Amino acid sequence: MTAPDLLVIDDLSKIFKRPRSLADRLSGRPASGVRAVSHVDLTIRRGETLGLVGESGCGKSTLARTIAGLIAPTEGSLRFVSSQATGRPPRVQMIFQDPYSSLNGRWKIADIVAEPIRIHRLRSGKADIRRRVDELLEHVGLSSSDAQKYPHEFSGGQRQRISIARALAGEPEFLILDEPTSALDLSVQAQILNLLRSLQDELHLTSLFITHNLAVVQVMADRIGVMYLGQVVELAGRKEIFAAPRHPYTRLLIDAAPGMDVHDRSLHPIAGDLPNPAAPPSGCRFHTRCPFATELCRTSEPPQTVAPGGGIYRCHFDLDLSHLPDTGLPADHRHPAVAR
Amino acid sequence: MLDVRGLTVTLPTETVGITALDGISFDVKPGEVLGIVGESGAGKSIAGAAIIDLLVPPLKRTAGAITLAGERIDHLDAQAMRKVRGRRIGYVFQDPMTSLNPVLTVGRQLIDTMRAHLDITRGMARRKAAEWLDRVGLPNPRETLARYPHELSGGMRQRVVIALALCADPVLLIADEPTTALDVSVQAHILQLLRDLHEESGISMILITHDLGVVSKMADRVAVFYAGRVAEISTVTELFEDPRHPYAEGLLQATPRPSLTGRGHVIQQIPGVMPALGKIPGGCAFHPRCSRASEACRTRVPELREEGGRSYSCFHPIGGKAQ
Repeated sequence: MTAPDLLVIDDLSKIFKRPRSLADRLSGRPASGVRAVSHVDLTIRRGETLGLVGESGCGKSTLARTIAGLIAPTEGSLRFVSSQATGRPPRVQMIFQDPYSSLNGRWKIADIVAEPIRIHRLRSGKADIRRRVDELLEHVGLSSSDAQKYPHEFSGGQRQRISIARALAGEPEFLILDEPTSALDLSVQAQILNLLRSLQDELHLTSLFITHNLAVVQVMADRIGVMYLGQVVELAGRKEIFAAPRHPYTRLLIDAAPGMDVHDRSLHPIAGDLPNPAAPPSGCRFHTRCPFATELCRTSEPPQTVAPGGGIYRCHFDLDLSHLPDTGLPADHRHPAVAR
Repeated sequence: MLDVRGLTVTLPTETVGITALDGISFDVKPGEVLGIVGESGAGKSIAGAAIIDLLVPPLKRTAGAITLAGERIDHLDAQAMRKVRGRRIGYVFQDPMTSLNPVLTVGRQLIDTMRAHLDITRGMARRKAAEWLDRVGLPNPRETLARYPHELSGGMRQRVVIALALCADPVLLIADEPTTALDVSVQAHILQLLRDLHEESGISMILITHDLGVVSKMADRVAVFYAGRVAEISTVTELFEDPRHPYAEGLLQATPRPSLTGRGHVIQQIPGVMPALGKIPGGCAFHPRCSRASEACRTRVPELREEGGRSYSCFHPIGGKAQ
């Protein structure tokens, strides 16, 4: 039984255009640009947490900002599905990576947390709003006496709790979390992840959880999408993606992260460097680093294939990737192409 | 190779001195990789900077003996210290962009470094510079010599920084969060490179990191820092399988692990946060966050004691002998 969709993204692209140089204009060349998000199809179901992982420059934050409405898509569409109960589109809130720049340092915590309540007119009357702010602060593990303080009086982890309280103040049905724990220390990260998880369960939130950390996404998400150079190269359930990934990049990314096994000290770097996102490779974008790449991969872009388990992946081949393949990295794997 | 005893670093204020490093002691054996782990504020980077006398003022080294290959280096004057730094101890900083000079070519930086420390001609230095770029895995070494740092990717810049740290043939390499600014796939390359170079040259190494995964792959022994003190020093296997100090155990349990976790699995968390400088609680600095804390922990500072080849500072160690 699948839950109804909350968000449907269809063939979405975001291109950041560069201003045309004088030489371009004289020679009549069109403006060049970076396709930061490239033809993404995605649906997010009510009540689920969709994790999105990838390395820097893969477009995950651009996709999140597009969904949040902070930037407009260049091509394609995204559509929120109104809930049957209320008939209105879901309210969206976002939690950012940096707990320092995402809170206004001149505002008291009470005002920061009350802002979404006022904007969405969720409570009326000073006393009501105050009560709600106190309640939210306690909900995220702070105390109501913190309401009269300023952000600089708090540590990074506490600020992230304030961000969470502010997001919850908007009574969101859909929450976008962009690397919410990446700036935090290990012990604090664990506290915030546990808090987020209990909130998700308690409030039946739908969320998009973006991170570069595979271990974190595995703890937090129901389904996981893997992005590479603007594309979602694989999307599947949490268990499937770790047990039997379909895309070579997913497999290599899982193995590249150093685990905590002190007996297996092998390292598994991915050959080569990340290509320039402004000039992605032809054919399959991953072919320059893929140990399975053939001539086909260099010339033709793989279609989006539906896996038997319902996941999707962009690879020409149906590879068995349940274990790290013995790729026998080419002898020149320490000589990646110069990224320009 | 390196022996640090009672290293104390203070942040002087108008009234009192705030202790940033409180008499820490550890050693690095020849050819060994010592990992230093801890969260921000634990004093790991300060320890690294204190060894090469590069503390950011007003931080000041106020006590302690630092011995490198049998020779005290903690009381050298600035000129003598410059001959240790870069020549005998190489240093890799976290951010490869800010540790390179943006207006000089990669080749110039390598050649200058070698000529400052080694008695060689410009031509020889140039040849060696190209060899170093090849050793650290940069393509087309001769052409890369003429490149500026901004023309290289983050991973390649860090390779250059590693070449710079090693080109004067030091006996000790201190790498401070060498892969933290890098993506996962690039991180594994840099770790592999450090490992290859370590195996080739047998150099002693201090690897400072907050990432337990990195430590589990690279270190022989690990020093766990907390609030300016050493909580535990153990071999990497002992630490990961049988930690003594409750903070070390807490860190290990707070790490989400792909093999163990799933949604619904609660990550063990350590309550509270690392105390800020100047606000370090009396007694054992970890006692407010520790479930094993007793009256003794609140009033007395546990000393770093040795037991069976490992050391830890705890009155109620896990599985060990109580002090």
